[in-house]
Amino acid sequence: METTAMNSQSTPAGGKPTHIRILVWDVPVRVFHWALAGSFITAFVTAESEAFRNVHVVSGYLMLALIVFRVVWGFVGTRHARFSDFVRGPGAVVNYVRSLINGNPEHHVGHNPAGALAIILLLLLGVGTVASGWMSFNEIGGDALGELHEGIATTMLAVVVVHVLGVIVSSFLHRENLLRSMLTGYKDGPREDGIGHRRGIIAIALVAVLGWFGWGLTQGQFPGLLDANAAAQQAHHGESGEHDDED
Amino acid sequence: MRIRILVLSTLLALSGAASALTPDDVKSALAAEVKATDPAFKDFSAQRGNVFFHARHGGEWSCATCHTELPAASGQHTVTKKPIRPLAPAANAERFTNQDKVDKWFKRNCNDVAKRACTAREKGDLLAYLMSVKP
Repeated sequence: METTAMNSQSTPAGGKPTHIRILVWDVPVRVFHWALAGSFITAFVTAESEAFRNVHVVSGYLMLALIVFRVVWGFVGTRHARFSDFVRGPGAVVNYVRSLINGNPEHHVGHNPAGALAIILLLLLGVGTVASGWMSFNEIGGDALGELHEGIATTMLAVVVVHVLGVIVSSFLHRENLLRSMLTGYKDGPREDGIGHRRGIIAIALVAVLGWFGWGLTQGQFPGLLDANAAAQQAHHGESGEHDDED
Repeated sequence: MRIRILVLSTLLALSGAASALTPDDVKSALAAEVKATDPAFKDFSAQRGNVFFHARHGGEWSCATCHTELPAASGQHTVTKKPIRPLAPAANAERFTNQDKVDKWFKRNCNDVAKRACTAREKGDLLAYLMSVKP
């Protein structure tokens, strides 16, 4: 025990524990993060035009698929990807934010408690946005559901803004480039806090499945989710006069 | 059952909040908006609205692309192919009875059709035309 503690916390001349370059984020975590950011931005900028309605809907489905993957990965992924590694109570979030304000920030190799809160909120708001958007698209719930969809999406944008600001502030206060580590996967830290596997194959499988799903959607392969051709035929045969689309 | 009534009444309250309007009210508000900048303004023109509705204005689509040449008929979204209920109030009593919805959809659809916001005069002319259409 003593030896292990000495190895991890060995304090050379500077008085700080020995920090080396360690892998913290596996590839699926990083691919998920940037794919979610990309699909959220795509959905947001295509929301105002009917011309991009299919793009908007496809990016919503991709968001949901990504979130489903992330929830599973939160239980079976590498160490810092797991919910058990970063989900903490409100007290931990308050303490962390207070430590930032006091200029003596708590250091976390994985997600810090504030980042963890952003993750949980974004996962929940993401599911809420897609669910309410799906209902609107299928004319369930009327105008109120459409308003709800916009409200949740706007809330999600607000959390994204706070998250980005938090990353910038934390990066400066910790003197640690959090943005770069979400790209490269690496941080500086004690050796035993690193993860051993990149899980690159899982990331490739994730991208392949999402690509197949997204492409299939645009090609009308999933008629229950998005099918321009079937809808056109239905309308042609005059079977769909009772539906309600508000534009 | 109680929950269902609660949900229904909440939905009704939400959707009914701004729906005590008639298409005439919406048109009067637009007329007031035009008069504010043009005191000589008399009335909107259904004829001008008719022309605007069927013409293109810089974008790929006209209003008629989705709402069809006959706004009393059901339309069809040109991208998703989803049906759109009739736009003319005579064929669909819900149209132009909620100011928020009117503003929202003029904003979205004018951006798609004209690549800009419509003027109050254009909106008023369009509404005059739609109100003149009989099923």
